[in-house]
Amino acid sequence: MKDGVIVALEGVWKVYRMGRRRRIEVQALRGVDLEVARGEFLAVMGPSGSGKSTLLHLMGCLDRPTEGRVLFEGEDIARLRPAALARIRNRKVGFVFQSFNLSPNLSALENVELPMVFAGVPRRERLRRARELLSRVGLSERERHLPSELSGGEQQRVAIARALANSPELLLADEPTGNLDSETGKGILSLISEANREGVAVVVVTHDPEVAACAGRHLRIRDGRIVEVTDV
Amino acid sequence: MFDLFRIALRGLLHRKKRSWLTIIGVLIGITAVVALISLGISMQLAVERSFEDLGYDVMMIFPGEVGGGFGGPTSLTASFEIDLDALSRVEGVGEIGLISYQSVYVKADGNEGFLDALGVSGNIFDFFKLEVEGRRFGPDERDAVVLGSEVAKELGLGVGDILEIEGHPFTVVGIYSAEDRLNVRGESILMPLAAMRELLGIKGVSMVLVRARPGYDVGEVAKRVEEFLYKSRGRRDLSVQTMEEIHEAVQRALGILRAFLGGIAGISLLVGGIGVMNTMYTAVLERTREIGVMKAVGARNSQILLIFLLESGLMGLVGGALGTVIGALLNVVAVIAARASLGAKVLEFGIPWWLVVGALGFSFLVGCLAGLLPARSAAKLDPVEALRYE
Ligand SMILES: Nc1ncnc2c1ncn2[C@@H]1O[C@H](COP(=O)(O)OP(=O)(O)O)[C@@H](O)[C@H]1O
Ligand SMILES: [Mg+2]
Repeated sequence: MKDGVIVALEGVWKVYRMGRRRRIEVQALRGVDLEVARGEFLAVMGPSGSGKSTLLHLMGCLDRPTEGRVLFEGEDIARLRPAALARIRNRKVGFVFQSFNLSPNLSALENVELPMVFAGVPRRERLRRARELLSRVGLSERERHLPSELSGGEQQRVAIARALANSPELLLADEPTGNLDSETGKGILSLISEANREGVAVVVVTHDPEVAACAGRHLRIRDGRIVEVTDV
Repeated sequence: MFDLFRIALRGLLHRKKRSWLTIIGVLIGITAVVALISLGISMQLAVERSFEDLGYDVMMIFPGEVGGGFGGPTSLTASFEIDLDALSRVEGVGEIGLISYQSVYVKADGNEGFLDALGVSGNIFDFFKLEVEGRRFGPDERDAVVLGSEVAKELGLGVGDILEIEGHPFTVVGIYSAEDRLNVRGESILMPLAAMRELLGIKGVSMVLVRARPGYDVGEVAKRVEEFLYKSRGRRDLSVQTMEEIHEAVQRALGILRAFLGGIAGISLLVGGIGVMNTMYTAVLERTREIGVMKAVGARNSQILLIFLLESGLMGLVGGALGTVIGALLNVVAVIAARASLGAKVLEFGIPWWLVVGALGFSFLVGCLAGLLPARSAAKLDPVEALRYE
């Protein structure tokens, strides 16, 4: 294992079975080899249904491969128990989704606290860190607001703050600007870039050329296969 | 843990109307449980009290076989004769009290009609620990009566007044309050047994009370009395029952009643529990995506489980707390109503602390149990599937 690699995929296949008696097979990933280096900024592009989200889920230890290996910091995630995977997601990974995915009944502040609650961070420390993150994304004034009382851009800012709560090594963003207008999207992108500058490895799935322009490496995927990797 | 509790609480508050409707289901169940159990306790306490008044060293002799169940006399008005001298010589037999139940024609102050009267030996006042306002009648008095306060009120009589029984004048020398007494009803007229016998031309009695001498075991004395009765009469036409036996029979009957009431209450609580389960399944389904996100940000399965368990347990607890309060209020209302309408302390307040604590604990448990399956299904959700859920 190379020291500089945070997550590596080796010959990864992901096959979903669905329908009655699970007869229908969907091959979401078909033999993917990939390494994500610490601190790098990787943009993943490709048509809808090509397997981008699946790739992200595997990198973030949300799922296990059907075949091949996913090594997170050198460890084969297929061998880890669910609680250990949850711990990695909690401490080492931050997820940002296209549809924000905040808990609707928790305030902005509480949403940012959530990963720290699961990590068992004491309340005082948690509040301090959550307020710091909210101020960093420019939402100090909105900490008591529910997600439904925030605009799309504001919700995504909260989601980024939540993703960074436990100081992860890897930030995974699945079309983070996909539901936002381009102006708002720029703000989100700059927050992600800022995190990357501070050393967090970023993998972002996007159709947005502006987002891709920030990345150090581009990866194009089609029908579950990587078809092109370019260093910028 | 406390923070997971907060998350659970937010979940509940988020769907207020549905949470409350569910809670009402539990509330009704717990109300029924508390109200019915406390009613059972109320009856038991009242019964126990009246037994304590009479004392456990007392046995009753009355005609007929003892029926199953309640174990009381089969007929109160059936008379029998008994050799009292011989009875008092049975080993261990102490004081003997006599009661004859009869219906008598009473005239007083323009009122007239049949009333229940008890011809009693003078010591009956002690047997029943009756408190008499005025005085009791002596063993040789013929024209004195003591009235129950209710009867006195109905007839408009006080101490010193005269009434006519079977055409013969009697003076009211005392009035006893039947409050606190289950066994001598307030409506009775107490008159000297000898006077009643003379008046009605009867010889027997309806019931004999026997107190065991100090130091003797009531049960054994009762056996000897039974033996004596059989030998002297040649047949078993009289029953001997110690208060303890009667008490046990009453307890058994009350126990069955309690179990029956508890069962009914349990069914309504079951319905409440199913309501909680239903609400929790809906909540898990509705929040599938949120559960996926919580897992993505690092929630362990056990933490998801706990959040939903706390949520359902909390619904149970809130329903239980409100239900306990309402059930206790119902008990108070029932006791007050019973006392007001029956004029005696026929029920005692029956809300012991263990019932309150038990009801709260039980309702929380019901909530948790009802939420267990839904919470497990939440904890087991595949995060990727959950995130894709629309
Ligand atoms: N949980 C799943 N069950 C069944 N099929 C799935 C599941 N997740 C993804 N797929 C399928 O796998 C393929 C790749 O999906 P996805 O990774 O979401 O693509 P993208 O993010 O590039 O649009 C699609 O055909 C999708 O329908
Ligand atoms: Mg996708």
